[in-house]
Amino acid sequence: MRRRKKVGLSPRSSGKGDRLASGLAAAALALVAGFISLPILSLILWTISENSWRAMGSPEARDALLLSARTTATTMLIVVTVGTPAAYVLARVRFPGKRFVDALVDVPAVLPPSAAGIALLLTFGRFGLVGKYFEAFGVTMSFTTAAVVIAEVFVAAHFYVRQAAVGFAGVRRDVEEAALVDGAGRFAAFTRVTVPLAFPALVAGAVMAWARALGEFGATIIFAGSFRGVTQTIPLAIFAEFQSNIDAAVALSVLVLGFAFVVILTFKYLTRRATEYED
Amino acid sequence: MPFDHGFRRALAYMVCFVAVVGLAGCGVSSGGGGNSGGSSDEGGGQKGGTLTVFAASSLTDAFGELGKTFEERNPGVKVRQSFESSSTLLTQIQQGAPADVFASAAEEEMNTAVKDGLVQGKPEVFVRNREVIMVPKDNPANIQEFQDVGKPGVKLVLAEDGVPAADYALEILGKADKEYGSGFKKDVLSNVVSREADVRASVNRVVVGDADATFGYASDYTPDVRDKVEVIPIPPDLNIIATYPVAALKDAEDPDLAKKWVDLVTSQEGQHVLEKWNFEPAA
Repeated sequence: MRRRKKVGLSPRSSGKGDRLASGLAAAALALVAGFISLPILSLILWTISENSWRAMGSPEARDALLLSARTTATTMLIVVTVGTPAAYVLARVRFPGKRFVDALVDVPAVLPPSAAGIALLLTFGRFGLVGKYFEAFGVTMSFTTAAVVIAEVFVAAHFYVRQAAVGFAGVRRDVEEAALVDGAGRFAAFTRVTVPLAFPALVAGAVMAWARALGEFGATIIFAGSFRGVTQTIPLAIFAEFQSNIDAAVALSVLVLGFAFVVILTFKYLTRRATEYED
Repeated sequence: MPFDHGFRRALAYMVCFVAVVGLAGCGVSSGGGGNSGGSSDEGGGQKGGTLTVFAASSLTDAFGELGKTFEERNPGVKVRQSFESSSTLLTQIQQGAPADVFASAAEEEMNTAVKDGLVQGKPEVFVRNREVIMVPKDNPANIQEFQDVGKPGVKLVLAEDGVPAADYALEILGKADKEYGSGFKKDVLSNVVSREADVRASVNRVVVGDADATFGYASDYTPDVRDKVEVIPIPPDLNIIATYPVAALKDAEDPDLAKKWVDLVTSQEGQHVLEKWNFEPAA
């Protein structure tokens, strides 16, 4: 009864309701756009009015930028090399405890980075579960660039592995099998057929992972510490400058903002290219 | 495209977020109104409200205790405190953070606040402190005296540049340079493996055991860390006496409350609490 009544009402009110809904949705989008662009605008305005461009060229900024580039590049190398086959197994193979592993991969994405930093410290720190054995061989992780990479891999790997697994799952099995029938080895079929077909997803995942690694702050400052040129990546440099020189902190933020824009534009361009290939 | 889908979802989340923040904002402001109304009803002559104290991180424990005393003395008043490095707090106050009182671990930050016209009246030095070297209980770098922090391979942690604890440390090293021969300061600084946000953060590096040594204040040797940390004194002729000024701020919401806080920390009672936490009296 009730249901019918509702159905009967809807045709009359739908025109007005739809217009109201789309008006609200458009307003919501405007709100979102304004909410994101205002802080960006404030950064740029401050930089112009306080003339803090110069801080972008400071040795601190250069060291931080170079370190961020180096550590995120290493991170991506590790994530892609290990993450690609891992994602393929996750997408294709059934094994006991798969659900658990699947959920485990998602944990770093949900865990606050500071909690991740504490966890890494208790694992790889000098008295950590694993760290104490390294220490016995004279290898110390904390306060080294390696610790920065460990932190970045920990928080960023998820984004690549998840996307790549989705991409691999979307490649039809019969296409892979056709390649095998045609005499390709398993490895060749994977590299020549599966990977190219899943390429847009791999690129998307890699860019997301890289962005996450670039922004990594909490885990790094807790686990790796902050020292110029060794563990002080751009986010940490911004935090450090905020203690003494807000102009430099703003300049670094604008710098990394520009960096982010370039990444997003490249990403959009690459994924468009990749999907065109797919068609 | 998966990205499109994710983007749309992210957009939806963002809209929710904005809505939630907006609502929370309304909630807070209406809640605040309700609060002040309630306390004026019950308190009769007593005023309610909140006192916001910005204090150097080394004051965490002592001011924590004094906060409770203050709330007992002034029923209906809530004391809210933010403990960070004095330099960070100064930046936040300069950026308009709603603070009523500022207690700095060095005169430099307070002087800047005065110069910027942020302070009400004249700041008072209310307490003093000494720097010490702190090492983990098992002392992995085998530091027996102050001079040992310059030994090669010692993992030393310092607070960030501009943080008073680090500025004092650099001053001490400058003096030591003259006594132990030049190169000492350079040796020590080349041992630094990390710069931390404030002095408590650098002490924590030693508590966890990842650093071999740090410069902290005598007052940072709190009961909480005593079973994990050992103190190596710095020779008195090289040490710097840290002086802590406190002042009510010009933008204080309730100047009377702010002044009451300054009165409490400078009172005999306040001094007793500070001494209990290993500070030294101002006079």
